[in-house]
Amino acid sequence: MSVHAPTLAEAPTSPATRFLRPLLPVVLALLAGAVVLLATGENPLTVYYLLLREAFGGPARIAATLTSATPILFTGLATAVAFRAGVFSLGVEGGFVLGGLAGALLAAHLTDLPGPVVMLAALLAGAAAGLLTNLAPGVLRAWWAVDEVVTTLMLNFVVAGVASWLVTSYFQAEGVANSATKLIPVAARLPRLMPPYQLSLGIVIALALVAGYAVWIRYSSLGYELRQVGANPRFAVAQGIRQRRVVLLAMLISGAIAGLGGSVHALGVVHRFVEGFSPGYGFTGVAVALLGRNSALGITVGALLFGALASAGATVQLFSNVPLDIVDVLSGTVMVFAVVKLAFSWRFGRRTA
Amino acid sequence: MIDDLLTSSLLLWTPIALAAIGGMINRCGGIVNIGLEGQMLAGAFVGAVVSGAAGNWFVGVVAAAAIGAVLGLLMSLTITRLGANEIIAGLGFNIVVAGLIGYLLRGVLNVSGTLRVKGLDRLPQLRIPVVADVPVVGALVSGKDPLFWSAVALVPIVALLLRRTAAGLRLRATGFAEDAARSLGLPTMRLRDMSTVIAGLLAGIGGAHLSLGQVGLFNDQMVSGRGFIALAAFYFGRSRPWPTAAACLLFAVFDAVQVRLQTEGVPAQLVQTLPYLVVVVVLAATGIRSARTRTRTAG
Repeated sequence: MSVHAPTLAEAPTSPATRFLRPLLPVVLALLAGAVVLLATGENPLTVYYLLLREAFGGPARIAATLTSATPILFTGLATAVAFRAGVFSLGVEGGFVLGGLAGALLAAHLTDLPGPVVMLAALLAGAAAGLLTNLAPGVLRAWWAVDEVVTTLMLNFVVAGVASWLVTSYFQAEGVANSATKLIPVAARLPRLMPPYQLSLGIVIALALVAGYAVWIRYSSLGYELRQVGANPRFAVAQGIRQRRVVLLAMLISGAIAGLGGSVHALGVVHRFVEGFSPGYGFTGVAVALLGRNSALGITVGALLFGALASAGATVQLFSNVPLDIVDVLSGTVMVFAVVKLAFSWRFGRRTA
Repeated sequence: MIDDLLTSSLLLWTPIALAAIGGMINRCGGIVNIGLEGQMLAGAFVGAVVSGAAGNWFVGVVAAAAIGAVLGLLMSLTITRLGANEIIAGLGFNIVVAGLIGYLLRGVLNVSGTLRVKGLDRLPQLRIPVVADVPVVGALVSGKDPLFWSAVALVPIVALLLRRTAAGLRLRATGFAEDAARSLGLPTMRLRDMSTVIAGLLAGIGGAHLSLGQVGLFNDQMVSGRGFIALAAFYFGRSRPWPTAAACLLFAVFDAVQVRLQTEGVPAQLVQTLPYLVVVVVLAATGIRSARTRTRTAG
């Protein structure tokens, strides 16, 4: 399945396509959503206006959108790092979950230390846990060319099972009906940026990481090696790049970012680890990385888009008969069209996937 | 005890096996079908609704097969004609299908997740007289539904079709070396599309087994990863019919045992991860072995 690699690492060509490419999937998704809404007797324009208002209308809604965008920024970035090296990792979901669990546990149980120290320790633990989830598929892929798509996808389920087992058998909070860990004390929670609202320092960490990635991938030697391995592995080897090391490092960095995202989500938003901690943030991240062509700006815009959909969808169902599920229809369609080659050519002869 | 375990294992086997055989055919044609999960969910939903509307289980199963096939075709076209990445297309279709069904449940049918269909006709159970009372054997062959027997029959039939017929050979050639197959004049895209349609069709029927054969209602969480278990099964079975069906049986036994062991204090969550873990281990082992052979022949 190494056929994916070149398309993943591919860079956009002309400025026009660079702008149009990410826009088209969104437009097509809105059209598909409109069909669903029309078929069930809703006015799509009214619904889309409501979505827009609930996503960006006023500071409260903008804060909510940014809060929803934060985990997606992490998972989108984590996915992009792997994709840049030509590694088709779906393991970000697992890294996010295990990172969230590690962060939530540490922050809830290290009660004797001062808040900032606990915070830092919890974030680092999250990153380490994420790194760990990608270790096995990373080594397998780098050294023995074991298909990372399937191993990472399967390990997500393993991680989810292990996490829920750990919670229910060792860390179950008392007095909670569902499977959840103890609440993180206020001192160890990430500080809020606009106090009544949930928006936390997490968004700053995420944006700083994305900005750092933009510089790192372009100007550092490891960034260069990553891009070379992703663009043309054989040429990379010919240049003397140690391909295995680069592939493994990309997987580990991707896992660490995913895990950090999980712990930020635990410390900033959920304040514990619960069943359903990640409603598929890892997979949304894959869509964001593809939609944003692995660029820092693209990831940011993509994360905002999906964040807006999530936050608006949650409140739109309060104002109308339209359930939150319409957002899944929209984001799933964006995902499918994000990978479709929109050259407007219906291929009959050659396949270049 | 043994009879109970056999009965529930075989009941759990049917939907996974149907989806896995479909996914395996798809894999032979060169497409990894991540969309099985959504195709099963759609089959379960449409199967339940149509079975209720028609008052006939067979019509429900046909409708489930049809919706699965249509979804398979759509997914396949985005992959083969529009060059979409198969993994993302599959994940995307799963999200869209779950979203659409959730939308219909909550927005149109006004239920929260469980749909009780009025007049739903469940799959009949074919009781075999005399044999039914024999221990073990009775649990193995009596009281099974028609879809179980179809799945059982499908394994040798698919094995034969893939191995011995021109169509099977062409499909495998397409999956093995598409460029070579095309250079021989095979309609590789159509073959790939066909294999995805078959996969969707079987996954849809598998979904119908969940709603019509097991519980008699629809719930939006009822597939709960079975599409991915099916994926794990044909990876474990290395895309061969008998091993794939056997892998499904193994995973079904895990599932049946886990429910029983829960009361004994064996963690269900860990048992549930076994199918996925097994696949990672198998992939790692085969990967390492083939890498070793490569180095040996090269050196």
